[in-house]
Amino acid sequence: MFFHIVLERNMQLHPRHFGRELREKLVSKLMKDVEGTCSGRHGFVVAITGIEDIGKGIIRDGTGFVTFPVKYLCVVFRPFKGEILEATVTMVNKMGFFAEAGPVQIFVSNHVKIQKDSEVRLKIIGTRVNATEIFCIGTIKDDFLGVISDPAGS
Amino acid sequence: MSLESFNKLVKLTARAFYDDITAKGDNQPKSGRSDNRGIAVVVLDALTRRQWVREEDLAKDLKLHLKQLRRTLRFFEEEKLVTRDHRKETAKGAKAYSAAVAATADSLPGREGEEKIKLHTHSYCCLDYAQIHDVVRYRLHRMRKKLKDELDNKNTVQEYVCPKCGKRYNALDAIRLISFEDDGFHCESCNTELVAESDKLASQDIGDGDDNARRRRREKLRDLLQKLEVELKPLTDILHRVKDLEAPDYGTLQAWELRASAVARASNSDPNANDSSRSGMSGTPMPFLGETKIEVAFSGVEEKEIKAESAPLKQLPPWMIKEGMNLTNEQRGVVMQESNADGTSLSMDDQKDEKKLINQEVDDKKKLQEEYFKAYYEALLQQQRAQEATNIKEDPSIDNFPTDADPSNSRKRQREDDEEGDVEWEEETPAPVETFKVDLNVEAAEPSGDDEDDDGIDWEEG
Repeated sequence: MFFHIVLERNMQLHPRHFGRELREKLVSKLMKDVEGTCSGRHGFVVAITGIEDIGKGIIRDGTGFVTFPVKYLCVVFRPFKGEILEATVTMVNKMGFFAEAGPVQIFVSNHVKIQKDSEVRLKIIGTRVNATEIFCIGTIKDDFLGVISDPAGS
Repeated sequence: MSLESFNKLVKLTARAFYDDITAKGDNQPKSGRSDNRGIAVVVLDALTRRQWVREEDLAKDLKLHLKQLRRTLRFFEEEKLVTRDHRKETAKGAKAYSAAVAATADSLPGREGEEKIKLHTHSYCCLDYAQIHDVVRYRLHRMRKKLKDELDNKNTVQEYVCPKCGKRYNALDAIRLISFEDDGFHCESCNTELVAESDKLASQDIGDGDDNARRRRREKLRDLLQKLEVELKPLTDILHRVKDLEAPDYGTLQAWELRASAVARASNSDPNANDSSRSGMSGTPMPFLGETKIEVAFSGVEEKEIKAESAPLKQLPPWMIKEGMNLTNEQRGVVMQESNADGTSLSMDDQKDEKKLINQEVDDKKKLQEEYFKAYYEALLQQQRAQEATNIKEDPSIDNFPTDADPSNSRKRQREDDEEGDVEWEEETPAPVETFKVDLNVEAAEPSGDDEDDDGIDWEEG
């Protein structure tokens, strides 16, 4: 499921960026740092859509780096148990197949008669969430689930 | 009153789940002679007829070897059906228990003869009804869920096991298990290729893709589920009945002992019996002072209390009556009697504390009576004042009393209706008039003893 939420992060900025474009530098660095990461709590950060607030910077002793508390709006993707997703099959082995729905990897056991790169609609039946990664297992044994398009057909 | 249902629950549970449990360890070979299946059922049944019981006594009663009984009880303790308590005590200290037993079941003779100073560890056991209820429900839930999940192939996480080292994984570990040489799953510790674990319930034929095998498996599971529902029907029924009832709770051993001996003391009015046993107990005297009780002392409460104890069971308010309770018609209020008119704080937990309840009942009754008398005398006084012209002070004639023409009288009646909504009182009105004659000038006087008793009885029956 996707969420549009406000997150906060302390950004360290090198003194060489201090100047007229300090703010732009800060935002581009934030995007580079945050987009595509995964936190167990919020899920995958898909995109930053705006900056809510940049707080007062604090100069670090010794280094000259400045820490800015930045509040930003972003779209996150967090898979939940019971959620229906469409995914692309990335690998098939004799135990089942792996599929990807955007950044999240899903394993479906016991289905081997399936082709790589086909699209499937599946239901998540379990998630394993670490601090920095999320892995799901799914099933295609339910109503309206299964292969929705074959690579051969297209 | 819920005890019966709960005992039935225990008995059914014993037969359903513990029928073929042997007290022996699994490693010992079962011979025909030492086969003691069904012992679990016997022990549980015996426990339903007891409260806290010393294990030695139970063994003696069941003609079982103590060791065997202990093993069974330990098993039930692990199964959470039974609570046990062990304590060191002198033979004399065991008297506290014996006294308590004597109070609950007066058949057992107390062992006063033996007086050794040696400390023995005695174990006691008791059924934990509330927990049994939960355990059984949970067990049934798990059974059903497992079968259903398996049947729909839903929510089942595929498990993998390493054939070499026996390490187990499930599908959530899949990402860590793929090796780069081939696509299969390999054990993390020994790098052997893992095998998918087949279903535990229905023996799964190899080859998951085989539709025929899958269908057969599904049929098997469905049969199993159906059989479970049919065969456990009595158990689910009793669970349903028992659901809203309060489980009998004997408390901890100490609390139970104290309570039992307190009851004994109350009924025997022999305060020495308990004291001597308590002083015999090893260890410090317990700080437990019995349950907090509030008694409002009225004159003549003593004799009323005894009377009320033999009185018929009172009607329970409708919100207290639940499905599955064993109640007499009277308790269900079939006669439509309103015994506790204003329904004062007869909360559920009072159910157990019978003495308190009776006290309260008496208090309620007294309150009502007082209110009634107050209203009654007031009305009569007013009536008198109206009649003061004729000045018949010593005899307010009985004839003109019940006429509705008198406004004060009707007012009285209205108030009376508000208070108890019972026609009964009106018929009774002539009775207190005699009292009235005696102390005419006292407003809202306490009724004399005899009269009150009469009222009490009428009130119960009406």
